[in-house]
Amino acid sequence: MPETAPPPPADAGLAASREALADAPILEVEGLVKRFPLASGLFGGGGVVNAVSGVSFALARGETLGVVGESGCGKTTLGKTVMRLIEPDAGSIRLAGKDITHLPESALRAGRRDIQMVFQDPFSSLNPRMSCGAIVAEPLEIHGLAGGRDKRERVAAMFERVGLTREQMDRYPHQLSGGQRQRLGVARALALSPSVIVADEPVSALDVSVQAQVLNLLRDLQAEFRLAYLFISHDLAVVEHVAHRVAVMYLGKVVELAPKRDLFAAPLHPYTEALLASVPDPRPRPAGRRRERAILRGDVPSPVNPPSGCAFHTRCPIARPICREKVPGLLPAGEGRAVACHVRAPGGEARDAA
Amino acid sequence: MNSPPQAQAEDRAGQGEPLLAVRDLTVRFRSGGDRVRAVNGVSFEVRPGETLAVVGESGSGKSVTALSILRLLPGRNAEIGGSVRLLGEELTAASEARMREIRGDEISMIFQEPMTSLDPVMTVGRQIAEAIEVHQGLGREAAFQAAVAALDDVRVPEPARRAKQYPFQLSGGLRQRVMIAMAMSCRPKVLIADEPTTALDVTIQAQILNLMDELREKTGTAIILITHDLGVVAEMADRVAVMYAGRVVERASAEDLFARPRHPYTLGLLGSVPKLGSSLEGGAGRLQEIRGVVPSLREDIVGCAFAPRCPLATERCRREAPPLETRAPGHLSACWEAARLEAEHA
Repeated sequence: MPETAPPPPADAGLAASREALADAPILEVEGLVKRFPLASGLFGGGGVVNAVSGVSFALARGETLGVVGESGCGKTTLGKTVMRLIEPDAGSIRLAGKDITHLPESALRAGRRDIQMVFQDPFSSLNPRMSCGAIVAEPLEIHGLAGGRDKRERVAAMFERVGLTREQMDRYPHQLSGGQRQRLGVARALALSPSVIVADEPVSALDVSVQAQVLNLLRDLQAEFRLAYLFISHDLAVVEHVAHRVAVMYLGKVVELAPKRDLFAAPLHPYTEALLASVPDPRPRPAGRRRERAILRGDVPSPVNPPSGCAFHTRCPIARPICREKVPGLLPAGEGRAVACHVRAPGGEARDAA
Repeated sequence: MNSPPQAQAEDRAGQGEPLLAVRDLTVRFRSGGDRVRAVNGVSFEVRPGETLAVVGESGSGKSVTALSILRLLPGRNAEIGGSVRLLGEELTAASEARMREIRGDEISMIFQEPMTSLDPVMTVGRQIAEAIEVHQGLGREAAFQAAVAALDDVRVPEPARRAKQYPFQLSGGLRQRVMIAMAMSCRPKVLIADEPTTALDVTIQAQILNLMDELREKTGTAIILITHDLGVVAEMADRVAVMYAGRVVERASAEDLFARPRHPYTLGLLGSVPKLGSSLEGGAGRLQEIRGVVPSLREDIVGCAFAPRCPLATERCRREAPPLETRAPGHLSACWEAARLEAEHA
């Protein structure tokens, strides 16, 4: 009998992830694809939006993978598909070694206990007609985990843990501030003691002073419960602060995946480089001297009709002829790192031209 | 002890006569039985070619301040006090007809979400042309040609084709360029930009900030930039007014403000923002928090509005509101404990 070793990853994103992880991954996503058909119009074919095309990564307990990208890059769809709030068209999702990609709805409920979500806008994701305490108790009831006095105690403990008061259990979401509502959203996600939390722009709607409170809370909870976070955000500084590793997405694909420090010290993909250069820096600079902003030309192209070859070539300052013709694969680029660029990847086809 | 009314000497540190001077602006709203004190004694000045950032969190009164300069608040519910002078002309007392001339011609404004301020059923070229017709008295065709030129000025690619398109056919970045083209078409003396890049992606934000800088340098238009984003402030502003709960709590050159904040709120804000490159400086520890929440403006605030959240607050802070006073040349702060703050963070 041959030993049952895990199959070698076909994908550099997964390979790089596994390299970077000390532990066995709690969440593994391989070749995930989600397409949205467009309604066909009066003049024929509607086409397809390739929201997520072939995304792979792994995530370990106690670790945060940041997913960054601009609007339309597919990061939100990625999060929802991983949660199976949206059904994937291809690829697989393994949670704690168990394939949940095709679990039927009935079995999924139990499977989902281990993976929970925190949303950007806590107000629209909380039932306004339920008291705050009932919102956190609901998942416990659905999963039959606690009842009566025990339930109330568990909810109260959760409230305390996220920095809400016992009295606030009887309030309604509209009576809380934005920051308190996001704490409530976190409490609800934590109620079932999940291993993985998908957090989609969890602090983007909050004022900066409150944002810091919630980011610190997420960090403390991670340390305490060894939570794994898939942290989706457009804000690079926030991602740098919370993540251990970062995946940069552009038009449905991961273009660079790397340990945080490597990525921020020396971005490989020209898109990562441009993103970093575009972030306004809140630090003093000498009077009269303005920073030269590295300007990326043009807009993000439409995901309905993405450019040929490398989707970034229309805006890329170092594009070569091959970039227009051939889609670059995600290639290994050092320990725990992968990049999809003909010019910058160590094994890239236009490497010599660099 | 009475401090001088809103220290005026400080702004002299800058050069030239103020283009726009706001003095002791107050705005109150009546809603139901409540009176909301949205803006409470705000003063600042801007000079030609200068960018003043007004920074604050939600509820700080920064947008209401901007809207009241142009008298765009609903008159029935808003009581406005204080003075707004444009080159010496008092705008709070100007006739509505005069205000219509001023809006768009001498002071223009752009907003966070261009889609809501553009007419969805008119081509963008016509919308810009309309403003040009009204303010410059050009004929229809000449105004349209001027609109195409204005789109070219804000680097809209293929301006003649874009001019014939409707807002929904443009991306968010292009729409904001259209708004800027419209706002700049009459060469205003002051451009008020209320969170102009907040709805945009960072790479597009960089383009728009660049464009605003470029236009300011070319035309000498002063910019009042309303924002919550300290990164944008650092990139764009010559001077900064920090607002909290309807008041200006600190005012300084951008350089001084970031290097040596003299109000605990500013210091807290700077500490609570994650900074790019933090992981390389080994500083990805806990962020500094500002405890608690912004006070309600429905109730009268006694003492310093920041006192309940302030680590330096004393009895006096809770009793008596600190005046905005000069602490260093060109640097004002409204804090009883400013000296202690300075000593601790020197």
